[in-house]
Amino acid sequence: MPRKAGAIELDGVVVESLRNATFRVELTNGHQVLAHISGKIRRNYIKIIPEDRVLVELSPYDLTRGRIIFRYRN
Amino acid sequence: MHPSLCTISRVADNQWHAVENDLVVGRGHALRRLDGRTFLSIDTWRDAVFEQLATAMLADQPAPLYTVVDETERELTANWERAGFTTWRREREYVVPTQVRPASPPPGVVITAAAEAPLRELDQAIRAEISSTVGWETMPAEVLPWQGGSVPIDPAAYTIAQRDGRHVGLIRLATHTRQPRIGLIAVRSGERRTGIARALLGHALTELHHSGIETVVAEVNENNPAACALFEGLGARRTGGNLELVHGEA
Repeated sequence: MPRKAGAIELDGVVVESLRNATFRVELTNGHQVLAHISGKIRRNYIKIIPEDRVLVELSPYDLTRGRIIFRYRN
Repeated sequence: MHPSLCTISRVADNQWHAVENDLVVGRGHALRRLDGRTFLSIDTWRDAVFEQLATAMLADQPAPLYTVVDETERELTANWERAGFTTWRREREYVVPTQVRPASPPPGVVITAAAEAPLRELDQAIRAEISSTVGWETMPAEVLPWQGGSVPIDPAAYTIAQRDGRHVGLIRLATHTRQPRIGLIAVRSGERRTGIARALLGHALTELHHSGIETVVAEVNENNPAACALFEGLGARRTGGNLELVHGEA
């Protein structure tokens, strides 16, 4: 079974909705990252708004960037 | 740039993986919606992997295939366009204030709560009108005819316009969500351009305002200038938009 590349996944809270479909997310470790919505979430028309709790997959190439791959039910 | 050395595997009926050095470096998914259309999504950090995944997914499934992107996601849109997708539908997102001046309905029309049987009849009539005029092609997913079953209808979510006891227009609101939303507003074809939609919207927004809700969101087809003007005339603020892209003849 292949492993996921760059599979650093962290919980966080959306603190700001920015232009260009990106969000500022504060991770549970206190760091903030810029994250966009995964294609799977967008395809399902799941809306992300500030204060949402989300799961972020960090980019293996830039740990200040990520992709929101899940929105928790608050 | 990273050399493209990955292998694409279909790991489930609706799922593809791009694997490189025993690592998954990209994922593709397909979702068949209730309206029968199949929507694709691809998540990877690398454009070359995206291209490989898109090629494999397109080869594995019959056209037409759809995807949706935010209008500001230029790189992602370009990736889908390189794979042969073209823009099919543009949708504007609005935030609509609920504190509006209610508009009176035209003479003979009353705005009232909905009952299920006439509401279902109205819903079917409006659907039939769409089928025989502009068609379903650019309607949002939730309005499209369902495959194998009738659409569930909750009268509590609707307000309707009635003329001489006959339902002529409706508005559907989703209020028990994190972001209250206008799901649908529609008026029978012979009753349009008379102010019924504005009256329905004004009535529904005012009721929301009285219940403490200050804004609602709405999505409007950009090719429907009358609907855009209706919302903008009520002070709606555009907050973004989505592009629906299609591959193959829809």
